Amino acid sequence: MRKTCRRTTIAIALLAFAAATVAAEAKDKVKVGFIGPLTGGVSVNGLGGRNSADLAVRLLNADPKSKYEYELVVLDDECKPNVAVQVATKMAADKDIIAGATHYCSSTAIATVDTYHKFGFPVIVWGAVLPDITYRNKYEEVHRVNGTMINQNDANAELISKLGFKTVAVIHDTTDYGKGHNEYFSKALAKIGKSNIVGIFGVTAEQQDFTGELTKIKALNPEVIYFGGLTPIGVRIRSQMDKLGVNAVFDGTSGIVSDAYIQGLGPLAEGTLAFREGAPTEKLPGGKFFMEKYSAQKYDNPPEAYGAFAYAAMDMILDTIEKVGPDRKKVIAALADVKDRDSIVGKITFDDHGQNTVPVITKYVVQDGKFVEWDDSEYAAGKRKLPGQK
Amino acid sequence: MPGITGHDGGDPDMDAGLLAQYIMNGLMLGMMYALVAVGFTLFFGVLDVIKFSHGDVLTVGAFAALATYVGLHALGLNSSWLDLLLMLVLSTLAMALLGMGIARYLVMPLRSAPALNTLLITLMLGTVLRESVRLFYPQGANPKPFPALLPRASIDLGAFNLRLDNVLMLAAGVLVILGIQYLLNRTKPGLAIRAVAQDEETARTMGINFTAIVLITFAIGSGLAAFAGVMNGLYYNEINFGIGLYLGVIGFSAAIIGGLGSIYGAILGGFLFAGLQTIGTVLLPFASAYKDVFAFAVVIAIMAWRPTGLIQQKISERV
Amino acid sequence: MAQKTRISVWPGVISLAIGTAYLIALLDVERQNLIIALLVFGIAAVIAAAWLGLLDSVSASFADHEDTLGGCAIIAALAVAAFFHENHFVLLLVITVLLYSVATLGLNVQFGYAGVLNFAGASFFGIGAYTSAVLNSYTAVPHLVVLVIGGLLAALAGSLLLLPVLRTRGHYAAVVTIAFALLFKTFLEVNDVLGGPQGMQVKGMRILGWSFNDNITICSVSLSFYMNYFVVSLFLLVGAFILVRRLERSWIGLNLDALRLDETAAGCFGLDIVRWKITAFLIGNFLIGIAGALFGMVGGFVAPNNYTFADSLILVSILLLGGIGNPWGLIVATIIVVVVPEKLQTIQEYRFLLYALMVIAVLLFRPEGLLPRPVRRYFPGWRP
Repeated sequence: MRKTCRRTTIAIALLAFAAATVAAEAKDKVKVGFIGPLTGGVSVNGLGGRNSADLAVRLLNADPKSKYEYELVVLDDECKPNVAVQVATKMAADKDIIAGATHYCSSTAIATVDTYHKFGFPVIVWGAVLPDITYRNKYEEVHRVNGTMINQNDANAELISKLGFKTVAVIHDTTDYGKGHNEYFSKALAKIGKSNIVGIFGVTAEQQDFTGELTKIKALNPEVIYFGGLTPIGVRIRSQMDKLGVNAVFDGTSGIVSDAYIQGLGPLAEGTLAFREGAPTEKLPGGKFFMEKYSAQKYDNPPEAYGAFAYAAMDMILDTIEKVGPDRKKVIAALADVKDRDSIVGKITFDDHGQNTVPVITKYVVQDGKFVEWDDSEYAAGKRKLPGQK
Repeated sequence: MPGITGHDGGDPDMDAGLLAQYIMNGLMLGMMYALVAVGFTLFFGVLDVIKFSHGDVLTVGAFAALATYVGLHALGLNSSWLDLLLMLVLSTLAMALLGMGIARYLVMPLRSAPALNTLLITLMLGTVLRESVRLFYPQGANPKPFPALLPRASIDLGAFNLRLDNVLMLAAGVLVILGIQYLLNRTKPGLAIRAVAQDEETARTMGINFTAIVLITFAIGSGLAAFAGVMNGLYYNEINFGIGLYLGVIGFSAAIIGGLGSIYGAILGGFLFAGLQTIGTVLLPFASAYKDVFAFAVVIAIMAWRPTGLIQQKISERV
Repeated sequence: MAQKTRISVWPGVISLAIGTAYLIALLDVERQNLIIALLVFGIAAVIAAAWLGLLDSVSASFADHEDTLGGCAIIAALAVAAFFHENHFVLLLVITVLLYSVATLGLNVQFGYAGVLNFAGASFFGIGAYTSAVLNSYTAVPHLVVLVIGGLLAALAGSLLLLPVLRTRGHYAAVVTIAFALLFKTFLEVNDVLGGPQGMQVKGMRILGWSFNDNITICSVSLSFYMNYFVVSLFLLVGAFILVRRLERSWIGLNLDALRLDETAAGCFGLDIVRWKITAFLIGNFLIGIAGALFGMVGGFVAPNNYTFADSLILVSILLLGGIGNPWGLIVATIIVVVVPEKLQTIQEYRFLLYALMVIAVLLFRPEGLLPRPVRRYFPGWRP
């Protein structure tokens, strides 16, 4: 009986200590959140985004004029919709986290919009391009700083038609991201009317073996293979194309604009086309400033394609909290009213669905192991021929 | 999903070249499945144990080979053939050691426990191996490019692209299987293995060192897994931490279809499974989406119809 | 004449109270060092108690006064919920524990009592969840009925596997369920009708017009909307627990035990093996399906990636850790497996690895599990 008494006392003491420490920390701290794919095939983008958001928080914390001290809570959505819903629930259910910069993968972003709405948690999307994310529902909680895939697919279809390619085969992943690309590219191509889609193939996001699809494509003999999906399977498809002797131009979307694509393929990446909304980071209005500050922090990973947008998203969140205070409802009201706000990616205006317009589309081609702007490349000048170009 | 315009599955005008391409794809897959299945069958035959971690040993073997490659490159050695040879040798030896360790510390202590416990422990071990690769290999969660070390020459025969490296791999696989057959049927250790598989007690009374034979069998099986892993890496030019799980289940199903305990059955099962997948790809719409559903459904059906597998065992199996 | 020694109910009650306080502390604390300290303290306390023989008196008291202590456990659960009435995330954790326990109880009936291996537990869970997704979105079936339909569909799907499972034993049966687990996930992924890899949103529960997804305010106390789901989940767990216990103590349970321990002998005694295996398999799947249907509504989202083979393995690990055949052990193991990785952020990434290592350790050193199944008791407190 004595032993139980002693143990109970220790337990109570520990609990009291715990309570005291917890209470003692309630100072002027404000928590903001970041969600991105930190592990898995597209993790370089997630880590780049995280570092960029972290940069924004650090810069503000270092500023003596800031009203609060910010803490960044980082969660990993693994680019999987079900994990995303779990971490979104976790972040949104935590009353201490005021707002979040969320998601690179469209499949995760579209799955979580309802969660954020359910909990009244304001978010700004920084990397996902599916239009439905902001346009399917009119949720006041959801905003986005980067553009949607409609414009990049328009530009894509335009370039393909201009270069005189008549037959295209489409491979897309079966998440909403890939399906969205398929939909908008097909529409854009049909509108121009110069090329035909000879086959559409859906593949799973984790598929290993594409010999089935590629053998069928070989029989169709298209000039271009359009790929709506992310880097991991882009790498596999391109490499298996080579193994099966499928000779066509490989045309991708913003999903493959990543160093991981080139590293995964080596020389095979040469001549791949890709498109992205937004100017390359160095050419953005605040690009130099961002790159300078980013390098100064010596992060392990580069910001990648969407790092600047993640920074802009987090910056806007911090700015808004500074203005209206750490209150979710007030932040939502303030974000409803964003017009021509200055940021490193240019002026941001949220339309009635919370969507920002990014007018510039960058066309890329892989030349000598780097993503080079199409207009500056030797392919556009006619000095080189794309593989498969007749 | 939008309809496929133009050619669908079940193409009536598939020419000989295309057919040959499908057959080649099927053969390559079948070879890899067969190698894994043979491993399962060996373990079962000798110890009556299903070693579920076999697939994940394959993954570890592939990563070991990759690590060897990275190491060799860091040292400045750049010859393809030398790289390949060293990778094969090192990963096979490493996996053989791993297999022996598994046998000694996890499987043998549980021999007196219900068979279920061994199954469960190897299943969990598989998870440990897989997660260890994912967590502890640098950036293990990402798919990793595997060097293309075989010659890349190829001949185009109509729609069929015959590649030298595929032919080499097929030939190597066949040689390895023939080698195993030879080892089992014509050498003394092989004789000992077969004796233990048939009747452990009598084999012991005949003076065969049971523990040594078990360790040797596990070593051989795991070495096979390493070889299959390297082959997988060379074929897809990529490895990731999940390949073992998938290949393991397929290899296991193949071994069971063919009849556990029979090497011929395992090989048959492996190629049969690959054949089912290829048929599924060709006949069903949406290309390879349903191929796994189809193949696994057939496996379940076969299990319902003929639980002991397709090749009749001489010893009636206690099923 | 046998002497009746009354076993006191108090060790059970006290251990339940201490356990509840500990759980509340664990769920409440946020700082990582404190959590680690609490965990270490907890493990040390349990080991010390085992060494001192206190655990024996606790389990004896549980065995003898199960009904009373069951009631106390319900009160304990309500206490935990009351403490966290505003905290969304903790309530969600608690609900997860409750529903996983129900699912594992289902697995327990299949494996612990009848010895039928089921490596596709998460798939049947998924069938229940997808049922609630589809029925909630497209029909006006009352949601409580949806739960039952979810269970029935899971049982029905299980019956498809019956023939291969019945004709095989041990590792062969394992292959069938593993193949099914993989088949199910792939089928859901390639199939757009059920949402494909993107999954489906599930509408929240509504009973008689009361929407479960709105926060409640009683007097001046505001409760998280998860309280609604908590109450239903608790009902479900209590119901499942009572069902499984009664089943175990009835002649059905006796038949299942005979079947599991020695099929040949059971057959000799006239037991219809096929019939009892089917019964166990279907009842188990029914429970798993209902739990899945409710969990789908709680989370509001279903996707194929939630119901993979790895998730089935987690359910099996819980079963093994807790002690095959012991419902109390299951609940404890579920709490450990669900709560600890969520609180200990640092190990979140390593959790699959840790579960697998724990199960290996358990299999090597303590195959009966944390709380092994005691000898059959027909009625609590029964004496000859």
